[in-house]
Amino acid sequence: MSTEPNPEPNPAMAPDGDPEVYYLNMGPQHPSMHGVLRLVLKMRGEEILEAEPVIGYAHRAHEKMAENRNYLMFLPNTSRVDYLSGMIYNIAYCQAIEKIMDIEVPERAEYIRIIACELNRISSHLLWFGTFLLDLGGITPFLYCFDDREEILDILDSVTGSRLTYSYGRFGGVTMDVDSAFVARTRAFLARMRDERLPKYRRLVGDNVIFRERCEGVGVITRDVAFRYGVTGPCLRSTGVAYDVRRAEPYSIYDRFEFKIPTRVEGDTMARFDLRIEEMEESCKIVEQAVDGLPEGPIMPAKPKKRYRPPAGEYYFAVESARGHFGTYIISDGTDVPVKLKLRTPSFSNLSSMPDVLRNTMVADTIAIVGSIDVVMPEIDR
Amino acid sequence: MSNLPTAPETLADYVSGNLWLFFAIATAAIMGYLTLNALFLIWLERKISAHIQRRLGPMEVGWHGVLQTVADMLKLLSKQLVTPRAIDKPLYHLAPVVVFAPVIASVAMFPFAEDLVILDIELSLAYVFVFGGIGIIGIFMAGWGSNNKYALLGAMRSVAQNISYEIPLILSALSVVLLVSGLEPVIINDNDQLRPASGISLIDIAIVQDAKGWWFVLVQPVAALIYFIAAVAETNRAPFDIPEAESELVAGFHTEYSGMRFAMFFFAEYTNMIIVSMVATVLFFGGWSGPLLPGPVWFFGKTYLLIGGMMWFRWTFPRLRFDQLMSFCWTVLIPLSIVNLLVTALVLELL
Amino acid sequence: MSKPRAEAEHDSDEHETEKMSRILGSSVAELAESSEHADYAKYGYHHVYLANIESIPEITRHFFDAGYLLEMVTCQDRRDDAGTMRLVYTFNHLAHLDRHLVHADVAADAEAPSITSLYQAADWFEREVYDMYGVRFSGHPNLKRILLPEDADFYALRKDFGRIEDAPQES
Repeated sequence: MSTEPNPEPNPAMAPDGDPEVYYLNMGPQHPSMHGVLRLVLKMRGEEILEAEPVIGYAHRAHEKMAENRNYLMFLPNTSRVDYLSGMIYNIAYCQAIEKIMDIEVPERAEYIRIIACELNRISSHLLWFGTFLLDLGGITPFLYCFDDREEILDILDSVTGSRLTYSYGRFGGVTMDVDSAFVARTRAFLARMRDERLPKYRRLVGDNVIFRERCEGVGVITRDVAFRYGVTGPCLRSTGVAYDVRRAEPYSIYDRFEFKIPTRVEGDTMARFDLRIEEMEESCKIVEQAVDGLPEGPIMPAKPKKRYRPPAGEYYFAVESARGHFGTYIISDGTDVPVKLKLRTPSFSNLSSMPDVLRNTMVADTIAIVGSIDVVMPEIDR
Repeated sequence: MSNLPTAPETLADYVSGNLWLFFAIATAAIMGYLTLNALFLIWLERKISAHIQRRLGPMEVGWHGVLQTVADMLKLLSKQLVTPRAIDKPLYHLAPVVVFAPVIASVAMFPFAEDLVILDIELSLAYVFVFGGIGIIGIFMAGWGSNNKYALLGAMRSVAQNISYEIPLILSALSVVLLVSGLEPVIINDNDQLRPASGISLIDIAIVQDAKGWWFVLVQPVAALIYFIAAVAETNRAPFDIPEAESELVAGFHTEYSGMRFAMFFFAEYTNMIIVSMVATVLFFGGWSGPLLPGPVWFFGKTYLLIGGMMWFRWTFPRLRFDQLMSFCWTVLIPLSIVNLLVTALVLELL
Repeated sequence: MSKPRAEAEHDSDEHETEKMSRILGSSVAELAESSEHADYAKYGYHHVYLANIESIPEITRHFFDAGYLLEMVTCQDRRDDAGTMRLVYTFNHLAHLDRHLVHADVAADAEAPSITSLYQAADWFEREVYDMYGVRFSGHPNLKRILLPEDADFYALRKDFGRIEDAPQES
């Protein structure tokens, strides 16, 4: 099979004979492009005519690795696909296999998983918040967010042993049990977050006039664009569509908890910002309910299987990660090595909408817009 | 005659006749002061930023890190001077000099106390602004000479920003000049020659506030505010630091400068901050005037307080986008400063 | 694993879902070669179809008009079993859960029609399928590699590439 070594350039990016068109290349090494994203901009003056994201710099062949090891061996990979939602991805993979193989998860493990995943979601949003402000020039909130995040990481570290990339889930439950110290720490963290930090972020950042000027009306994603590009997560919810996998296809025990799905209609950067702050609040609510209702009991099934051989067939399992709809598509042939494992990651589709969103905007807004989409390159490149 | 304010004796008077001695002392004094000043300000900035960000800042070198800047300077001095190949050599090498030299000259004209000033020039306020403007040429030389798209973009933005914000800066200063000229003229005893206070001389403005007993900020609050905002913009500090924004254009017009050359730009920025703060101190806050404590304490105290305010701004606000920055200048600050000037003139006419 | 959600609460929703998906399903089933309901609780989708690759654009048009999101386009290397590459499309509606899986077999070295004119999401998905499996899409505006280096001369997820057995052995 031959492939062209020097492929045709993107026809949308051709200069079209306009002498004032020039090209600006942002990244892949750039203090601000989150991760290794290369953005080629076709510009005239300060206006962007066309944008082309170039990805693949963080491709580590996770899907190929999945085809070369058994289901249990792939567990550590899952966290590294999106290291900011590492817990969510890790647990999601476990939940996918459990659904396929009909493995019953003990109640206590379910509650612990919810606590860990929602804390992970909060920490992912906090990091986004800090780095977003960093891109806009407000350096101080970054430190405060990391302070909060440090507490979450310490809490999760105390029970899982890892700070960022977890292998906490197992098929059927979780590895280590939580104790009263964990619960106390989590409660203290939630209290600080809800009573002190989130209102502070809202007031000092969200109400700041310069911040509002930079974000309002900037980077509008319309419902139509979101639909055609398969955008999910906060980017979709900022356009008015109340789609959250935790509500649309409830998994684990999310249907037992009271939480709102925040939406906005403006679809601009400010909407996404407000939305994520609200989502952090809602996640705090969920963690609180989970901690209050944490039952006693085992954290793994009484007789965990030794080999995992899903019956032959194709399976799809979706969860809501911090960035949107994360889907695991598994094709099994009855052995303990998958035939195919496809990771449908939300940032992949979210980023693909950039050409449409960035067209006819100003280059100075690029940083704000790409930052507000909250992409994590490793999950795009896998 | 005895209770009229006297013009200070200047260094020039002391060494009158001996020009070389004058230059020697003046240059030594200024350079010494500026160096110490930069060392202090860099340390102050790092400490203020650290405490705003819930951390400590430099703590290792010296007591609470006071010698950190010395260590950094030594490091910068020892760095290899990497000169990119495709630069425009004269422009690239002269740019730091052009940015830095004028601000040194400006320091000579400030009255640190009733009798402590290096040079007494009649039009000192105008001179300060002129020298401030020369630095802008240096910025453009740096951007163009670097032969780098990012540096050029940064330089163009910086130049546009600086020349735009000079207007409200000067207009608000003009309000004070008008004020001094329009008030009951204060007669100054200048070597037994009586003359009315001149609004365009920094020394005279300070003398008038000292003599009257109140500071001009009370009468010209709007001008003071406009001046301060324009000053922050002039020095390319946040929230107006698009030209040096790290996340936007790597490092703006001084992208291609490393080592000691980079240090010169850095130095120039802090010196610029000192200059605009000193002008603000003299124009609006009475210069050296203040009860109890000696003049220089008041003068430097007020100056550094204003600088502390500038630093506070930097670590609190996000950055304004360039077009927002420009439209803020042209649609808000300039009309406001013009209105302020007209109102000042009107009020003075009616009184 | 947790029990499926309470039937009583969502009865009416499921009714709606079933109705709508039956309407859609039947019109798509007419175009497909075979269609089946799938047990969502076990498989994670509601319908699965096997369609002729030529009818994919029309099938996609049905889903597009009904407001279904294109969740995923991927491929399975079945050249060992059936001599074809099997493309897999997933559609889901956001307002009511109704996932449809559409399979389409493409002969090795043959081209598949692109659906980027309807769903721009397919732009990058199809590029990834091309990158990883070598399936070309006719009508794609910018078909070039997306994850692997531009000058790569292999298709990474093909079954005959990168097998552990082919790795150089320590001698």
